[in-house]
Amino acid sequence: MDGILQSLGVIFSLSGVTVLVTGALLGIVIGALPGLGPSIGLSLLIPFTYNLGPELSMLLMISLYTSAEYGGSISAILLSTPGTAAAAATAIDGYSMARQGKANEAISISLTASTVGGVLGGLALLLLAMPLASLALKFGPAGYFAVGVFGLSSVAALSGGSLVKGLACAAFGLALATVGIDPIAGTPRFTFGLFQLYEGVPFLAALIGLFAVSEALAMVESRMASAPSIKDKVGHVFMSAALWKETWRSMLSGSVIGTLLGILPGVGGNIACWVARDYARARDRHPEEFGNGSANGIAAPEAANNATVGGALVPLLALGVPGSPTTAIMVGALIMHGLHPGPQLFNEAPSLVYAILFGTIIASLVQYAAGSLFLPLMARVMRLPDAVIAVGIMAFAVLGAFAIRNLMFDVYLMLGFGVVGYLMKKLRFPVAPVILAMVLGYLVESNYRTALVSSQGDYTIFVTDPISLIFLSLSLVSLLTPLWRRIQARRASSRTEETADCTVR
Amino acid sequence: MSITKKTFGARMAGAAVGLALALSGFAAPANSLAAEFPEKPVTLVVWAGAGGVLDTYGRKLAELLEKEAGWSVKVDNRPGGSGAVGVSQIMTQPADGYNILVLTGTLTFGIAQGLIPFELEDLRLLRAMQSEPSSLAVLSDSQFKTVDDFTKYMKDKPNGLKVGGHAPGGFHQYMLYQLMKKGDFESGWIPHDASGKVTLGLLGKHLDAAMMTPSTGLAQVKSGEIKLLGVSTDERSAFLPDVPTFKEQGYDIEGAIWRGIAVKAGTPDDAVGAIQAAVDKVTASEDWKKFQIEQFQDSPDWKEEEFTKRAQSDLANQLEFLKANGYVE
Repeated sequence: MDGILQSLGVIFSLSGVTVLVTGALLGIVIGALPGLGPSIGLSLLIPFTYNLGPELSMLLMISLYTSAEYGGSISAILLSTPGTAAAAATAIDGYSMARQGKANEAISISLTASTVGGVLGGLALLLLAMPLASLALKFGPAGYFAVGVFGLSSVAALSGGSLVKGLACAAFGLALATVGIDPIAGTPRFTFGLFQLYEGVPFLAALIGLFAVSEALAMVESRMASAPSIKDKVGHVFMSAALWKETWRSMLSGSVIGTLLGILPGVGGNIACWVARDYARARDRHPEEFGNGSANGIAAPEAANNATVGGALVPLLALGVPGSPTTAIMVGALIMHGLHPGPQLFNEAPSLVYAILFGTIIASLVQYAAGSLFLPLMARVMRLPDAVIAVGIMAFAVLGAFAIRNLMFDVYLMLGFGVVGYLMKKLRFPVAPVILAMVLGYLVESNYRTALVSSQGDYTIFVTDPISLIFLSLSLVSLLTPLWRRIQARRASSRTEETADCTVR
Repeated sequence: MSITKKTFGARMAGAAVGLALALSGFAAPANSLAAEFPEKPVTLVVWAGAGGVLDTYGRKLAELLEKEAGWSVKVDNRPGGSGAVGVSQIMTQPADGYNILVLTGTLTFGIAQGLIPFELEDLRLLRAMQSEPSSLAVLSDSQFKTVDDFTKYMKDKPNGLKVGGHAPGGFHQYMLYQLMKKGDFESGWIPHDASGKVTLGLLGKHLDAAMMTPSTGLAQVKSGEIKLLGVSTDERSAFLPDVPTFKEQGYDIEGAIWRGIAVKAGTPDDAVGAIQAAVDKVTASEDWKKFQIEQFQDSPDWKEEEFTKRAQSDLANQLEFLKANGYVE
């Protein structure tokens, strides 16, 4: 009890509120800048946390982490440039909505969904940390493989018009994911002797190139230099009652998916956003709107990527093991204060644990307020002519690619992906499946092989492992449902044709 | 050292080294005139990304070099290529001591596997400042109480247990290989791409035993949920006084993954001397000692000669290990 009161005392003290607001403002900017994500943001922050107490430094870091997950959607919506990898799914519907003159709506959905996701993820952390952690332990390599396959099964939903094109793009992404050091044999594959490719094709370079540069090239081509196509004014962040009614289910499902995938180390927001979008689409009454500016296409992934924050903190607090690269940096900061994360912290430093638990929820609320402060600035961005925006996208893309590892190689690679993305746009190939497959390729391959190494080559591990069985069955369902619906629709239409024929006669 | 694999990267790097050597020829006279090293800010090139264990060490070193030696220090993260990016960065700079590489013991693995297209002789290894051992870890309810229990079981049932740890063909698998040779048994290896996942694998019973750094599962080691059967230090670690070493159980195995600093080969002795003197000030400081304890790090403090010898013998042994396990030909 003392711990709870003490932690609330810290959170609502002047310094507590100051670090929360500072973290939120920094987080939104860092999230919105492509190439700079929450993990880079936190590592830049570490030197400044030396002199803060452990509670305050954790509050600052959580606030930045949470807000960066939202900030990524701003550039995704306004510039088609996902600021963070976890905002990639938001770019599809968010940018499309903004181009229809509804940027304000898109931003308000994103901010609201991010806040809802963050709060629900934080509540799950507060109330269910221990059971969720023991759930995470049930996942072995076979389980991780099956989760990856489940994620890949959403390719169909991302394919737009042509499933064949979608599958071709997914195959391209999977092929790219094989570049780098072999996860089991330890030898480089398809690196052409370039050590810049040892860690694989840098994911952010591909993301920025395919999404942002291709869009800038398309803008230049269409020569809409004078008239800005977005006339919308950004004024307020409150969603209308109708929008709430439309999106609350996606926010809820997105939050649950984000929390659950967030607790699995190595899965996290980059994957949760796609799974959440797919789930929302499958349950939407207008699935055809996805890809053309669907409100749920923003709400679901944004709720999911913020909910992963609470999820990623679960293994950190319950087991002492970081659930994401970002939380690994938080471990480093805790160690700097002479504290080691884990269940023993509840006894050693209860006020710190409660500051993290309540801080996660309160940081989401602070993010909502901080997010609304940026609206006038965003309004100004949107009144710029396309020519300026195209140049801005290119500048941010180059900066972002360089920021990944301080290597010019990544910039050239990103530009190469930009050209590929442009050609794909021209030929109407969807870029999202490439990104999804790149995110999941490594997870699927490394865990597939690890599972087989641990079972000594016995393939039945994928059905005897209960988690694996569940997720492989779910993937099958998610693959067959659209097919089943199509058959049903065909039957129904042939039946109406028959009745039509009858009436004519 | 025979790395015959001619790659584009190696050739590029060779060209870069040649260019840098040519440049350093011009830089050298200027250095000998220098009154005192350093005359300008020094860069610590950390070969890992911001936020990890190596980065934490590099930043602490930078902070203390400023505080204790009065230097002006900049930290430059150059992650990528299993360290190759960081080494290349040093190689493209003049050999004047102003670019100091912050690196780990994976250096010798990287060279042996041909991932780092340089040789030990391209660097002057100045000081190993931190080290962490490996340990054989099981869950507390495991039937194994000692290393002997484990090796006996494995002798009876080759590959009978799921044994794994961080990275394929890395330090922890290398330590298991040493144990296999001394204990005369066969074991597979299940690699994990992050050390945290090794702890989760043990706790979730997806692994029966793991080779891991004790600090990896610190919360569980402290609470007794994970039991360490043996640790690869020479004597019992001050951090884990209750954990017996492999040596005292009759397995002559000793090894640690070090973190330290290096400069490019050809850096003049006066600059190296100034760096060593500054590092002495750092390691003597109370701040550093406190930091080492907080981070659960041993302080090997190997100077250049011992450090180099150690790295050379590591390299030879690891090459043999990698060949025996099919990681290199």
